[in-house]
Amino acid sequence: MQITGGNKKLNMATPVSVLRLPKGPDPNSRGFDPKSPRFIALCRTSIPTSAVSEADVEQLPKEQHARSVLRESFLRCLLSVTNKKVQFHMYERVKVEATFGASDIDVMNFQVSDLHTPIGVQKEALIRCQDVISFSFDA
Amino acid sequence: MQCGWSLLGPLQWIRYINKQVKVKTGKDEEHRGWLLTVDPVSASLVLVNFHDDAVGGGRASVQVVMGHAVQEVQVLQDADQETTERLQSSFLPPRARPLAPEQLGQRRAGVRRWLEENRVPVQEDGEELLVAGALTIMAPYGPEDCCSSNQIILDRVQRLIQSQPAALPNHGVESPNHRAEAPNHSAALPANQPIQRLIQSQTAPPADQSERSSCD
Repeated sequence: MQITGGNKKLNMATPVSVLRLPKGPDPNSRGFDPKSPRFIALCRTSIPTSAVSEADVEQLPKEQHARSVLRESFLRCLLSVTNKKVQFHMYERVKVEATFGASDIDVMNFQVSDLHTPIGVQKEALIRCQDVISFSFDA
Repeated sequence: MQCGWSLLGPLQWIRYINKQVKVKTGKDEEHRGWLLTVDPVSASLVLVNFHDDAVGGGRASVQVVMGHAVQEVQVLQDADQETTERLQSSFLPPRARPLAPEQLGQRRAGVRRWLEENRVPVQEDGEELLVAGALTIMAPYGPEDCCSSNQIILDRVQRLIQSQPAALPNHGVESPNHRAEAPNHSAALPANQPIQRLIQSQTAPPADQSERSSCD
């Protein structure tokens, strides 16, 4: 999202009509090579699971245990963020505030409500995780 | 820009938790905090900073740094016992006080009766309830205590238990009020209604009805 510098900050409470930004190519139609960089960048629906090298066969249970402990902790953290006000720090020095809704399973998109943008307040929005550097909230 | 952080793997990530770390995400951007967890799917770090106010109870501010934006992670110090405990218990659900065995038994019976009223096959298996051979409910028999590998059954049973009306103080006495609360099973209420409707429709003037039925 490009923010032109030098503009006076608008009143944040103005609601904005729904903006539909261009989506990537439809993965089901023909003509798009799943291996092309454009497809991977725009149509990624899931992060590929990490491959296990052959040398770590005995490490596998330990790795799986570590993975599940970490993931459970992360999911509980996400559970506690729901309906809280979060600040998103994104690229190009963009900082927006919103109410956290949900994340998808691969942490590719965040669903938020009341996204305060410089052009107004979006009632519901989907934020692409690739655009986010970090987000913060108060527990 | 993916640095090595995202490729480390769970065994390496877990070694960083409960430590104070400094995360670099840009030229001049740094985030510090106690590392609570790392998401194995996105390699995102969850950093916690405690703000202990003098006004009752410390608050914590949490920052989640996305894995793809991480350039460097540096460990600053290890956490002591107290901070570790505080970190690990920050997001756990509040533990309910344990119930006495008779109360547990009453709750189990109550949940079982509610499920049976809703025509869900349930069996008692010691301390647990076995539902439809695919779901187990453990003490204290709340919606979060259901275990199943079938998502649909899990969702249905959870909703059912959540919508269970609050138990009455005296379970033994079958008061008429209690019967009215369980509409599926009480014999009095639904049986009367169809009969009443039938009587009403018969007393309605037949002329009107025939006219209505004849018009297309």
